[in-house]
Amino acid sequence: MPTAVLLDSSLSMTRPVSVEGSEEFQRKNLAVHGLTMLFEHMATNYRLEFTSLVSFSSLWEVLVPFTRDYNTLQEALNNLEDYDKTCLEAALQGVSNIVQQEWGTSCPCQVVLVTDGALGIGRGSLRHSLQTVKQRVEDKKFPLPFPFPSKLYVMCIANAEELQATDSMDNLEQLINLNGGEGQIYTMEGPLCLKSVQSMFGKLIDQAYSPFHAVLRCGNLTSDVQVFPRPEPVTIDEEVDPMPRTVQTDLEIVGFIEIGDISSPPVLSRHLVLPIAVNKEGDEIGTGATDDTEEETSTNQMAGKSPNFCVLLHGSLKVEGMVALVQLGPDWFGMLYSQADSKKKSNLMMSLFEPGSEPLPWLGRISQLGPASDAAENPYGEDDSKSPFPIQPKHKRSYAQNVTVWIKASGLQTDVQKILRNARKLPEKTQTFYKELNRLRKAALAFGFWELLKSMAELLERECTLLSDSAHPDAAFQLSHAAQQLKLASSGDSKYAAYEHNITPMLTDFSGGGGADRI
Amino acid sequence: MRIFSVSHKTAFVVDHCPYMAESSRQLIECDMLTKSRSQGVIPLAPVSKSLWTCAIECSMEYCRILYDVYPTKKLVNYIVSDSEVHILNSWKQENQNTQELMTALAAVGPPNPRQDPECCSVLHGLVAAVESLCKITEYQHESRTTLMDTADRVANRGRIICLTNAKSDTHVRMLEDCVLETIQEQNKRAAGSDRLMPIQQCELVLVHIYPQGEETLVSDRQKKELSSVLSSEVHSVRAGRYLAGKLNVLVQQHFDLASTTITNIPMKEEQHANTSANYDVELLPHTATVLNPFSHETVTLKWCTPRTNSVELHYCTGAYRISPVDVNSRPSSCLTNFLLNGRSVLLEQPRKSGSKVISHMLSSHGGEIFLHVLNSTRSTLEDPPSISEGCGGRVTDYRITDFGEFMRENRLTPFPESMVDAACRTPVERAKFQLERHTRYWPMIISQTTIFNMQAVVPLANLIVKDTLTDEDVLTCQKTVYNLVDMERKSDPLPISTAGSRGKGPKRDEQYRIMWNELETLVKAHVGTSERHQRVLDCISACRSKPPEEEERKKRGRKREDKEDKTEKNGKDTEEKGWTTDSERLKGVMEREKDEQSECEIIKDSPDSPEPLNKKPRLATEEQQPPEKSKGPVSLLTLWTNRITQANSRKHQEFAGRLSSVNSKAELYQHLKEENGCVDLIFYLIVQLYFCMDENSFWDLLSPI
Repeated sequence: MPTAVLLDSSLSMTRPVSVEGSEEFQRKNLAVHGLTMLFEHMATNYRLEFTSLVSFSSLWEVLVPFTRDYNTLQEALNNLEDYDKTCLEAALQGVSNIVQQEWGTSCPCQVVLVTDGALGIGRGSLRHSLQTVKQRVEDKKFPLPFPFPSKLYVMCIANAEELQATDSMDNLEQLINLNGGEGQIYTMEGPLCLKSVQSMFGKLIDQAYSPFHAVLRCGNLTSDVQVFPRPEPVTIDEEVDPMPRTVQTDLEIVGFIEIGDISSPPVLSRHLVLPIAVNKEGDEIGTGATDDTEEETSTNQMAGKSPNFCVLLHGSLKVEGMVALVQLGPDWFGMLYSQADSKKKSNLMMSLFEPGSEPLPWLGRISQLGPASDAAENPYGEDDSKSPFPIQPKHKRSYAQNVTVWIKASGLQTDVQKILRNARKLPEKTQTFYKELNRLRKAALAFGFWELLKSMAELLERECTLLSDSAHPDAAFQLSHAAQQLKLASSGDSKYAAYEHNITPMLTDFSGGGGADRI
Repeated sequence: MRIFSVSHKTAFVVDHCPYMAESSRQLIECDMLTKSRSQGVIPLAPVSKSLWTCAIECSMEYCRILYDVYPTKKLVNYIVSDSEVHILNSWKQENQNTQELMTALAAVGPPNPRQDPECCSVLHGLVAAVESLCKITEYQHESRTTLMDTADRVANRGRIICLTNAKSDTHVRMLEDCVLETIQEQNKRAAGSDRLMPIQQCELVLVHIYPQGEETLVSDRQKKELSSVLSSEVHSVRAGRYLAGKLNVLVQQHFDLASTTITNIPMKEEQHANTSANYDVELLPHTATVLNPFSHETVTLKWCTPRTNSVELHYCTGAYRISPVDVNSRPSSCLTNFLLNGRSVLLEQPRKSGSKVISHMLSSHGGEIFLHVLNSTRSTLEDPPSISEGCGGRVTDYRITDFGEFMRENRLTPFPESMVDAACRTPVERAKFQLERHTRYWPMIISQTTIFNMQAVVPLANLIVKDTLTDEDVLTCQKTVYNLVDMERKSDPLPISTAGSRGKGPKRDEQYRIMWNELETLVKAHVGTSERHQRVLDCISACRSKPPEEEERKKRGRKREDKEDKTEKNGKDTEEKGWTTDSERLKGVMEREKDEQSECEIIKDSPDSPEPLNKKPRLATEEQQPPEKSKGPVSLLTLWTNRITQANSRKHQEFAGRLSSVNSKAELYQHLKEENGCVDLIFYLIVQLYFCMDENSFWDLLSPI
């Protein structure tokens, strides 16, 4: 989930804050301090996150495009310049554009807006933007809600009282509401100082950037893992089941399926599963800032050399072309597989299916999947030539069952011509002739289209008169028999017009097995 | 997405009154004479569909598309109205298919033009539709049952699509009023019933059908709220293809479908088999498949060659069922058959810049065609650290092939709904249980194991993880053990890893000791499963090699060191693998010792117990020789003695008395010869134990007794 940091660089950010201590701070310094803390956290615990830094005033500018290089981001923070007034709408539009350009509209993104809460005056101010939000034309729409799934975090270098004194708080709340309620406003508690800015960014880190640690299990084989990006809570039906579901920290493998059988399933999100070394006290190696780096490297080397289940699993999944089905929570599953980024680098990945008992129609209900060895007969065949998947649905879809549709005249004409073509090749095509005739008859009865039955009967009678002298004598019998049956059906008489009834070929001296003797 | 939205229930009400028998006046030429035959033949008069036929085939087309895209959870109740109501199906899922509706429609037949128009009305059908919307569906029922206290979250909404021929706008107003009144009435009734639910929201879609060439008497009207519950819209449409077009638009609106055209599909021409022309096919998938769901124009996706293969796992963010707009047209059926035969095709979305981006994939699963949406933007997971750079990444001898085999053995397969085993476990729980069993002892790297590198152990290793063993299985396991004994006798080399150890690695007998220990560890992990599993362990314990005494003595010192090394190493391994912690391991040792003692209590009660000294605590090598030849029954005592002897021999410094013995026989405990009995046996054992270990652990061991 990439992060776009949107930093207010208007003049109001240079307002000094009164601190009892010796040094005098500007709000900007506090903002930079908070962001430094955020970037440091990401560099250590969330280093695969892509982050971009955008500064704005009446204009906006991408200081650092999306990157994992936190040094560059930090450097940009140290070289900020001050500009004129705050104009948030343009900046939000800018963020919306750069996110869409880079990640499209399906990738969830976090936007961290850092501002002092002085949201501008007159045209271009947030107040003005919000007042006119409903009077926009199509191409000048307010940028919120963002067209991609998003969270908007507003970090105010101001305390709540200050914001409530003006309408800033109301405006910011309205902003979050416009984003479908996706986001949160953070304010500073107590005096504006380094400590309170730290505590505010600490809350953001806990909320949005805490790493997700879990235990991956396959029976008794286990591995401690970090799942990145961390899986976010999911709500499937906000009405029936409004509680968002979260991925549990115990990821239990339930079995294995061939890649061909799982067959590019739709997934909610994709995550890297990275094995981590956890020492005996349960602390993750590398979290403590006081750790001696040399010691850390040696522990990492140690961790590299001791066997890890993730690596074994990854290797075998890759070689065998299989995926592991993994349980993420009650009635919620996902799959683990090997994903090659380039030819050399490959990784263990986890994709989350939609929560529910049957996320993939072609696998059926997951709770009904059991070990193949329990089946009376090996469903994969003794030589691996078979597969129990995909599961066939009870009813065939329309395109798989030769349905009759006469909405366009051509559909009807084709069906009539098909019957006539076969009629001219009687008795060789007797079976096809009656099959097509019955198909037409059934549809005409269901549609209440008796007129067609009569016309078809007439057409068959005329075919009969047009038969050449060399025609097989059976053809005439079958044609007049079929015509007569259609006429009876078109009478609506329940004896002949029953839907399930089929017109069967007439038994003549020329048809059937005994014919040859009598000629 | 909400399951119980307005589209959960659709009631079709089709007017079956005499005026619906009127012709649509859209003529269809079905006598298409070929030129050669047409001479002198008067062509047949064209046919024309009635209003009824037009209404039925368009509503069936609506249902066809609906069932193709949503085979479950979107339900249709089909009602025909004349002087009475004909309800053709129910909300039940099993009734939701076009075949069933077609059969029922054939039974109804076309309207009877001679029926008294006075007693016929579509009103009967509308009333029935409202009643029907109050009826609970199986999905609503299931949801309410699961939600229990919060059952009120299950909403009851629905849509009525009425196909009729109205007289005027006033007539339309009358129909709307009737629906509104009936909803109010029925909601009161439903409030007091378990099988009924009041309607919270109802959309009435009135479609007025009139013959071609006539002026309409009813005006179109956009959706309007008639009350907080009911909204209504009126469509006035000419019969024939206009009606078909209208219902096609409605089904797209009602179920969020987006017209999507697949272009540039290469198809072979019937006449010219070696040329191919490009065709377009229009499909209806869910709107989520396209970038701009608000555009009403068809989305174009271009056919891509080369095709994809099934063993590729694409990153797919959605998969939606499709329905072809023109299901029987030649290009449509050509495309659908191609897909149903198991082939997939990638599609690209034309971009303004002219660049190619593969954005979708068409593929069938189990006879259903899905449009997969592929991720076509930059991935946030690009350039991740390779797995070889992380934990365990430097280890090179993972048992990749063996784990692959393990995965094949643990592949999943669907079981019928009713299938639960004796312990009431669902298949997926059984699958987890099997994984647990199969991994009780599963070393991850080649250098951590001997037995899994030996072909000879395979039959036993495969069987012992099973939940139940047959007598035949036990026999196979025993044969495996005898085979190993034979190998040991012949001093066959073992695939013991020499990695990490200096020199040639352990001596042959040491190798076998390691192998036997590992085999025991494996079998012990399963010994609790059944009595037959225990028998396999017994067999190993009885047959496994014991180091000959002479050797033992000579190498005593060295072995002790080895042993310590080994324990340390094992200890480390177990920690890493997470089998047991140190304390658990200690406890295990204690328990094993205790077991041994309780076994001796069993012996105490056995009348068959031979006198202790008749079985010598240390047997001469020759006497102990080839166990595979003594396949006869082994008494528990023998088993036990063998085991404890062996265990002890590894634990202690040799007993001084024995060291000074003649022919390995020392005159000890002479008094036992005179005094027979079990108490003495225990005493003998305790004394022996005392000599086996240092004093502290001896008393520790005895304290629980």
